[in-house]
Amino acid sequence: MVPVQYNLRSLFVRKVTTFATAFGIALVVFVFAAALMLGEGINRALATAGRPDNVIIMRKGSDAELASAIQNDYIGLFRGPSQVSQAAGVIGEIVIVITAERSDGSGVSNVLVRGTPPDGIAFRPEIKITSGRAPKPGTNEVIVGKAIAGRFKGIAMNDGFELRRNRPLQVVGEFSSDGSSYESEVWGDLDVIRRSLGREAVVSSVRARLNSPADFDAYRSLIENDKRFSMKVQREADYYEKQSQQTSGFLKGMGLAVAILFSLAAMLGAAITMNGAVAHRSREIGTLRALGFSRFSILTSFLFEAITLSVIGGIVGTVFVMLLSLVSFPVMNFQTFSEIVISFHATPAVFVKSLIFSGVMGLIGGLFPAIRASRVSPIEAMRA
Amino acid sequence: MTEAADSIVTLSGIDKTFYRGKEPIHVLEKLDLDVPSGSFEALMGPSGSGKSTLLNIIAGLDRPTAGSVKVAGSDLTKMSDAQLAKWRSQTIGFVFQSFNLIPVLTAAQNVELPLLLTNLSSAARKKHVETALRVVGLEDRMDHYPRQLSGGQEQRVAIARAIVNDPKIIVADEPTGDLDRKSASDVLTLMDKLNKELKKTIFMVTHDPAAAEHATVQRKLDKGALQ
Amino acid sequence: MNLATYARRNMFRRRGRTILTIIAVVVAVLIFSLIRTAVAAWNAGADEAATDRIATRHKISITMQLPKHYVQELRDTPGVTAATWANWFGAKDPKERIPFFAGFAADQNTWFDVMPEMSVPPEQLADWKSTPNGAILGDLLAKTLEVQVGSKLVLTSDIYPGDWEFKVVGIYTPLRKTVDRNSMIFRWDYLDNDPRAAFSKDQIGWMVSRIADSSQSAEISRRIDAKFDEKDDQTVTMSERAFQLSFLGAFTAVLKAFDYVSLAILLIMTLILANTIAMSVRERTHEYGVLRAIGFPPGHILGFILGESILVALVGGLIGVGLVFLLINNVLGPAMEENMSGFFPYFRAPTSVMVTALAASVVLGAVAGAIPAVLASRLKVTDALRRLD
Repeated sequence: MVPVQYNLRSLFVRKVTTFATAFGIALVVFVFAAALMLGEGINRALATAGRPDNVIIMRKGSDAELASAIQNDYIGLFRGPSQVSQAAGVIGEIVIVITAERSDGSGVSNVLVRGTPPDGIAFRPEIKITSGRAPKPGTNEVIVGKAIAGRFKGIAMNDGFELRRNRPLQVVGEFSSDGSSYESEVWGDLDVIRRSLGREAVVSSVRARLNSPADFDAYRSLIENDKRFSMKVQREADYYEKQSQQTSGFLKGMGLAVAILFSLAAMLGAAITMNGAVAHRSREIGTLRALGFSRFSILTSFLFEAITLSVIGGIVGTVFVMLLSLVSFPVMNFQTFSEIVISFHATPAVFVKSLIFSGVMGLIGGLFPAIRASRVSPIEAMRA
Repeated sequence: MTEAADSIVTLSGIDKTFYRGKEPIHVLEKLDLDVPSGSFEALMGPSGSGKSTLLNIIAGLDRPTAGSVKVAGSDLTKMSDAQLAKWRSQTIGFVFQSFNLIPVLTAAQNVELPLLLTNLSSAARKKHVETALRVVGLEDRMDHYPRQLSGGQEQRVAIARAIVNDPKIIVADEPTGDLDRKSASDVLTLMDKLNKELKKTIFMVTHDPAAAEHATVQRKLDKGALQ
Repeated sequence: MNLATYARRNMFRRRGRTILTIIAVVVAVLIFSLIRTAVAAWNAGADEAATDRIATRHKISITMQLPKHYVQELRDTPGVTAATWANWFGAKDPKERIPFFAGFAADQNTWFDVMPEMSVPPEQLADWKSTPNGAILGDLLAKTLEVQVGSKLVLTSDIYPGDWEFKVVGIYTPLRKTVDRNSMIFRWDYLDNDPRAAFSKDQIGWMVSRIADSSQSAEISRRIDAKFDEKDDQTVTMSERAFQLSFLGAFTAVLKAFDYVSLAILLIMTLILANTIAMSVRERTHEYGVLRAIGFPPGHILGFILGESILVALVGGLIGVGLVFLLINNVLGPAMEENMSGFFPYFRAPTSVMVTALAASVVLGAVAGAIPAVLASRLKVTDALRRLD
């Protein structure tokens, strides 16, 4: 009802105030969107390494590969059932966590090393060697995930490190795996690594490819009810989902808590600005009321102004936060105590949610000033 | 009080009391007023006499503490705030002392404001705006902002705004208060034109005797009583 | 009338605006303090580490074990006055009353001597030495698991299969504010003798030693590692503080991010303050012109504006710090310490954080008011008088 140009132009008359408020909101939206992008990044890193037709078998009671141990002889028994795809088969792998010195001298951290059988790489079609070559089975050659390549001393192309005294490993290649957590691991030969650790008789976990995802329930019941051993069977996706929950929940929770606290400050900023505008323009508002514009039309027009102001800030904040996609940083995976590298991941949903968030901030911050505006009496128009 | 057949404003027994803290101030007491249609009324009186208060009551901007108010066929005391707003947009044209143009809108957009409360199409509104600005002689300043106009020109744009919706009464509160002699004279000539040619009823509050001379009826308000 | 009076009176000209601004400063101070407190609490464990203790683990990884006979060799090292050891048990509560707590098997004869900050009544210690499946719990953990001295306790493990039954023989209380009150310690020999732990027989997880002279810490650590260097299982020994920090290693990036975030809220606060002052100054330009016309020099005008800005910020800062003390130290802190003792055994706002927050609000109040103040004082008197705004 009240012309839109009135509110839009009024925003740009007081340029400094509009800019300062919008910038404050942009900062808050930045933090909010960053938290969302962090969550998406964690999900991508942790929860996408799972095929619907893969299952992972660990000793019952273990929450992570690291803590589990399965005797070699059982692997053959896992392969037997009809649900297992004979083409892809099953693989047993050993997983350990080693401490490694960071290349930038900032201290030590944990790196996950996986000993995999000769068909271990082929079992995951998404693995691509991005530089160098695949390791020769039965040798001390290893490849390193591209997320951690170069971050630790010795764990880089053509370099090497000692797993244990007199047990050196040679890095011959780097690999990528669609951004999943494998990219934060070092992969080598199962037997060589086991021997170095004196653990020849066990593997940490077994992965099996089923003929179809629908075979899961039957296979699980078969393995879990087998009295010869005590195992837990999970869909690979569920395993990774649980892995990511603790870490991602913690980080996402903290990020969002911070963003919401920040939004309190931003809403106060918007309220102060809009209040000032209402006070400054009380004669204009009185005139509009005298002319016959209803209280409701004044209310909505000032709400519109507040929301426009904050959405402008939201757009600026969201555009800048997209730059974060270039940033990645290490975080401790609580389940494996190893370091995984997370990137901020932008999706259209992040963009939409951030804009809505900014609009809501404008709505709440601008509500009381808008109500105040609607209460301005037409007699204000008479004031000289 | 007899209600004349062509009275456009009839006030009976108007009381208006303001409160300063706990202390009541009786601005208007038992006031009666009859304004014939087509009249050009000037209301004069010393500062604080209640002129603006009376004007506010006639224009539906304020309610009396007691008494009845009938303007242009409507009983204002029986109308809600929302109804009064609508009524004002259709019935009253305002001219304020400090012009009160919206600084971020052009002259044409300012004049168009009252029309936004009607159902007229964009094209129809444009026509009315042009007509109104032509009446006040400022159609060549249509796209200028208020800060680009002189005080006298601003007031004339305000008058265009006041007549664009074809109101039954024009209510003017010290329309020449902020103007120099020449501009004031232009504005008053314009108001003469509105009254005599366009047959508009005008109710003007002023303390400028020269302005009051243009009116057909002059009244004085002193200590809440009309003379 | 003076600068202070004028500034104070001006604050209340637009009461709503001033109050909102003060609230914004309070909120900013609270957020800043909360973030900085969390970072400090995170590092608290390391900061409070005993200086006369060193820890020894397998060189490759904390998850690899060492032979038990290393303990005697450790005790024989010159400079070491006492040594104890423990194995990680990966304890879990089958009833899931607590999502995570530290459970480990330690030497019943030496553990609490080397770690005196976990205080156990002597009769309970004696009881532990004579009860093979005895366990000593932290006071908060005992409350959560609903046990007291004499109760039976059944737990499961991440590493070892099946149910493990213990008898609660003691409860330790913390002598230092950063001690984790949610730990559970049982006897190493009970674990080692159980058939389920056969694959790790005579193996230990890590060792902790007391040294006579803290200044010798680095030297003694080197000596220890040199002793085991020739063996198949090499060690790495470091001060307890370094040991604790190594667990935080992966989080340095996150903590740095939090530092930046805490600065961001200060930036937002400054923007809000600057905005408020700019609005007020704009409205009063005519008035400042009048003051100048009367004879106030530009410096006074600058002083008025800066003074008002600093005053608003100071009031907000004081209230904010007061609330930090009340809310964080008396409400949130104890709650965090009880429920998240594993992460935050100590969660109180350090005095340094409160002082920084207050100082920041005053300094930023000045910064926020600076530009509007300088601009206003530079305006020509005639221009100022012309503005009616």
